[in-house]
Amino acid sequence: MAESYAPAAKVRPKAGFDDRLPLGAARGERLSLRARLRWAGFLFVLPALLHLLTFKFYPMIEAARLSFFRYDLLTPPVFNGLQNYKAVWENPLFHQSFWVSAKYMFGVSLPEWFLALGLALLLNRQMPGQSLIRLAYFLPIAMSQIVVAMVWKFMYNPLGLVNTLLGFVGVGRINWLSTEETALPALIAIGVWRGIPLFGVIYLAGLQSIPKEYYEAATIDGAGPWQRFVHVTIPLLLPTILFVMVMSLLSAVKVFLNPLVMTEGGPNGTTRVLPYFIYETGFAYYRMGEAAAASMVLFAFVFGLTLIQLRLLRQGGVE
Amino acid sequence: MSRKALPRWGGRLTTCLTIAGLGLVLLPYFWMLSSSLKTGSEVFDLPIKWLPEAAQWGNYPDALSRGKFPTYFFNSAVVAFAVMTGNLIFCSMAGYGLSKFRFPCREACFRLILSTMMLPLEIILVPTFLVARQFGLVNNYGGLIVPLAVDAFGIFLMRQYIKDLPDSLIEAARLDGCSEFGIFWRIILPNCKPALGALALLTFRDNWDQFLWPLIVASKDVLKTFPLGLAQMEGIDSAAYHEIMAAAVVGMIPTALVFLLFQRAFVRGIALSGLKE
Repeated sequence: MAESYAPAAKVRPKAGFDDRLPLGAARGERLSLRARLRWAGFLFVLPALLHLLTFKFYPMIEAARLSFFRYDLLTPPVFNGLQNYKAVWENPLFHQSFWVSAKYMFGVSLPEWFLALGLALLLNRQMPGQSLIRLAYFLPIAMSQIVVAMVWKFMYNPLGLVNTLLGFVGVGRINWLSTEETALPALIAIGVWRGIPLFGVIYLAGLQSIPKEYYEAATIDGAGPWQRFVHVTIPLLLPTILFVMVMSLLSAVKVFLNPLVMTEGGPNGTTRVLPYFIYETGFAYYRMGEAAAASMVLFAFVFGLTLIQLRLLRQGGVE
Repeated sequence: MSRKALPRWGGRLTTCLTIAGLGLVLLPYFWMLSSSLKTGSEVFDLPIKWLPEAAQWGNYPDALSRGKFPTYFFNSAVVAFAVMTGNLIFCSMAGYGLSKFRFPCREACFRLILSTMMLPLEIILVPTFLVARQFGLVNNYGGLIVPLAVDAFGIFLMRQYIKDLPDSLIEAARLDGCSEFGIFWRIILPNCKPALGALALLTFRDNWDQFLWPLIVASKDVLKTFPLGLAQMEGIDSAAYHEIMAAAVVGMIPTALVFLLFQRAFVRGIALSGLKE
C-alpha cells in the first residue's frame, strides 16, 4: 500500500497539471484541492496570457526600444539615441499628420455623439414595424469596411451619386477626394455615417435599461417630455454617454483603411492620418525606428483615452 | 393646434425622420446593388438611372475572374473561421479561469490582459511584424491567423458572462468526479452560448474584414484576403465600377448573412462590447 501511495505523493505538487485526476484522490485533503484549483485556474488563463505577452507586450517593448535605433530591416539596428524623436519632431509631415488625425477624430466623434443618441431615441419609441426598422438600421454594422470604402469612393467620383444628388439642389460638381479642402470632410462623412448605427445600438441598450417606473413617476409629478429627457434620461444614461464619447474617439484615431484605399493620404497629405504616417514611414521608406517613435506618440494618445474608458467601464457598473 | 393634436404631429414627425434616416443609411447599399447590375457606361449615366435597364448578371462572373477572387474568398474564410475558433477557445478558457478560480496575481493577470486593449495593431504594427518574422509567420497562413487568435476584448466579454453563472453547477460536477477541463468543456461552455455567439459573430465580422495585418504580413497573391483583393482590383482598373460593385456585393454576403441569421446575438454583442469598432 505504501508503495502505491508513493508515486501519487510525488505527483501531487504537479496535480494541477493533470486535470484528469479524479477529485476522490484528493478528498479529505482540502489544502491540496485548493492548490490544485489554483493551478487549474492559472492554467486556464495561461494560453491567452502567453499569446498576449508574445504578440502585444513584447512588440510594445520592442517598439519602445526600436524608437531609439536606426533600423531599415536589412542591416542590423544601430543605436542613435533620441535622433528618431528629433527627426519625427522636425518632420513637417508628422505635424501635419497629427493635426489631420486630431481633425478627423473630433470631426467624426462630435456629430456621432449627438446623432447616434438621436437615432436611439427614435428607435426606442413604439412604432409599427419596429423590429424590422431596427434591423434595417443596424444591418450596416455588419458590413465590411472595404466594401464601404469602395462604395463611397464610387459615389464620390466627380460623375458619381453624391454630385448628382447635390446637383438637384444646385451645387456644382466637386472632385471630392482630389480637392484639398474636401478630401478630409469627405472621409469624415463616411466615418459619421458608419458610426451612427454602431453607437446607436449602444445608446439603445442604455435607454432600454432605464426602468419605466422613473418615467411614470416623473409624469405623475407633472414633467413634460423635455423635462423627462433632461431629468430622467440624461442622468441615467450618463455612463453610456461618456462611454460612447471615449469609444468613438478611440475608434476614430485608429482609422487607416479609408485614407489608404480612397485617397492614399492625399491630396497633399490632407488625409494622411497618424496610423498612415506610421505605415508609410515603416513600410514604404523602411525607417522602422522613426515609425516606432511616431507610434509612441500615438500610443500616449490612446493610453490616455483608454485609461478614461476603463474608469468609465468600472463606474458604469460593468465591473 | 389643440394639446391633443400635438403628440400626434410629433409622432408623425418622428416617423418621417425615422424613414428619412433609414434612406440615408441604406442608400449606398442600394446604389451598390443597382450599379453592380448595370453596364459599364450606364453607371455614370445622366440623368441618373436608379435601376439598370436590363440586369447584367454577367458582371458577377466577369468581376470574379479578375484577380484570384475564389482564392481571396477562401483565404478570408480560413482566416475568419480560424481566428474565430481561436478566440472562442482561448478567450472562454481565460474568462473561466479569471472568474471562477482564485490564484495569486489573478487580478494582476486580468489587468495585464485588459491593458492590451490599449495596443491596437496600428500602434505596434512595426514590432508585431518583426515578432511574426522571428517566428517564421510571414507569407503563410500561420502568419495571417496566429497573431490574431486571442483578443483581450473576448476575454473581458467571457469573464463578465461566466462570472454570473452559479458556482453550484461547477461544484456539483466536481463532486461527481469530473475533471477540471471536463467541467469547462461539458458544463461551462454549453452554459454560455449567448456570450459565445456574440463573440463568434464579432470576431467573424472583424476578421473577414481583416486588411491591415494581411497587407503587412502576406505579400504573395495567393495569400491575399478579400479586402486586399478588392482594393487591388480597384487600383488596377478604377473605371470598371460596375464590376467592382459586383465583387463588393459578393464580399458583403457572408457578413450580411451572418448578421441576418444571428442578429439578436450580434446586436447584443455590439451593445456589450467595449472597444470594438
